[in-house]
Amino acid sequence: MTLRRALLLLSLATIVAMCIEPRLLQMPFVERGPYARALAVFPDRQWPQYPQFLEGIRAHTRPGDTIAVVVPAMGWDEGYSYAYYRASYFLTGREVLPLVDPENRQLPQNFRGARYVAAFGVTLRAPADVVWRGDGGTLSRLR
Amino acid sequence: MTATLVAILSLTVLGIPITLAVDRRARGPLLVGSSFLYGSGAMFVVMLALSVAHVPWTLISVSASALVIFCGAAIIARGQPSTGSRQRVTSPYVFDLVTLLTLTSYALYATLAPLWEWDFWAIWGLKAKAFLEVGGIDWHFLESRWNTFAHPDYPLLVPSNFDFVALVNGGWSDRWLGLVFVAWAVALLLIVRALAARETSPFFASLLTLALVSLAVSRYVGLAEGALIAFGGAGVLFVRTALRDGEAAAWRHGALMLGFAANCKNEGMALMVAVTIAAGVVSWFGGRQVAWPGNATVRPRDRAITRLFVLWPAYALAAPWLLLRAMHALPTDIVGGSAVSRLMARLPYAHQILGFLAARLYEPWFWMAILAGLLIAPAVARRRELFVILVTVIQLAFYVVAYLSTPHNLRWHVLTSWSRLTGQIAVAITFAVFLMLANSLRDGQDAPHAEARPDE
Repeated sequence: MTLRRALLLLSLATIVAMCIEPRLLQMPFVERGPYARALAVFPDRQWPQYPQFLEGIRAHTRPGDTIAVVVPAMGWDEGYSYAYYRASYFLTGREVLPLVDPENRQLPQNFRGARYVAAFGVTLRAPADVVWRGDGGTLSRLR
Repeated sequence: MTATLVAILSLTVLGIPITLAVDRRARGPLLVGSSFLYGSGAMFVVMLALSVAHVPWTLISVSASALVIFCGAAIIARGQPSTGSRQRVTSPYVFDLVTLLTLTSYALYATLAPLWEWDFWAIWGLKAKAFLEVGGIDWHFLESRWNTFAHPDYPLLVPSNFDFVALVNGGWSDRWLGLVFVAWAVALLLIVRALAARETSPFFASLLTLALVSLAVSRYVGLAEGALIAFGGAGVLFVRTALRDGEAAAWRHGALMLGFAANCKNEGMALMVAVTIAAGVVSWFGGRQVAWPGNATVRPRDRAITRLFVLWPAYALAAPWLLLRAMHALPTDIVGGSAVSRLMARLPYAHQILGFLAARLYEPWFWMAILAGLLIAPAVARRRELFVILVTVIQLAFYVVAYLSTPHNLRWHVLTSWSRLTGQIAVAITFAVFLMLANSLRDGQDAPHAEARPDE
């Protein structure tokens, strides 16, 4: 075997070895239950009850309604972006309005313009009627 | 799960006459793989057209429209000549079993739970779910200033495929959508297997397919990467085949696949342009190395122009969404504000940025192996793969320009996207380098069409 052939063979074998994904190959032989449970709660690890709360909001609002979201973390990178995006996903058909922008500027016009305020993990201090309460929060209609 | 499987099967059946209309001689893995991808792409076209025509998406309206495409493609396919100069046989090999096991493992992973990725429920799944509510593309949602986080300008092939599954299912469910990502990967690997079998032995063709499994499957289940890797990878490999063999069907396949790739992500648009540039360069400067059946005396410039023209279906497929997003003024974050001034401001620091990209390269040893393979392979083999090398380099250059002009924090942007971007271009370059090395190892340096012996 010439040096060139040896190098070709070594290079080819290295590429194949680099491409093989051992973790993937293990998947049929491991207990998948814990992985499945971990991934199922992965998006909502910060507030596990939040999805159920949003399902409740969805059940008590109608398509076209505008909803502002209030959560304990009102900083964009501290949790508000998650809360806002997650609410947008669960409340499709409604218009979810953020109360903070990515630069952490408050958006009071969205609070005033919303038909409902969904408050999770906090008590809303504003003149409003509670429409629904459950799963760690309230849905209120502003007066 | 049943609804998702039925949807995947329906898309594959829809794609069969389209594949045969493009290439009447397609058989075996090439037929099955291409059929799913064409079915997936055609479903996007159907749903986009219905939405533009203000026809609500229902299972009946979508199925009836798909049936029209199915029948039209079948009529075209019947008119195509069914004989060819080569019989496309793909012999199975033991490595194919390991490939199958790896794909099964990926299927288990992709369906562990409802899709969990942030970008799924904040971008791709969100759009699909929002559109399903109104039975079509929700322009109000896309135009809202509060929804810019969902990247309204991104093309809609992937959300429309999610919505087709939802229509078959009778409602939205993100529980089994991971299977669609398995289907995209399987389709690409079937095409890879068939194309590799034309150029090398069953041993190397099956080993190459096995090696490409981990690159064809997207770790980001729920994002458009899976579809982009499939359509983009197939598109580049078909154009590579077309440049080598001068085969008209391969040009058509390549152009259509690239057009659908452009409807997966903006990087797909960039890939379409990269392929056009690379094909033009290779055709212009390729001399005798590129095939041009029946006309050896054609001038390089004419050959390049003619070859670029045959890619028109890619641009025709990309055009509707580009037009619609311009009409609705959907913003693209990368070019927002003054992209040129950001680019100019960062250019003096380009070496630092490139260093950061190198330091943050995902799977650096894999890329080192690819680079080493490129250097070790004989020069003649390297020249033969100039097209794929050029596509990879041009696409990387596009990524770097995007980073230099990003309005976001550059470090954040690189950390959150670089591994995905490099993953998008890995299939084609690995395919090319592997075949360079494998065929150099085989007797006679290169043995094209090892399994493709004439049947006439």
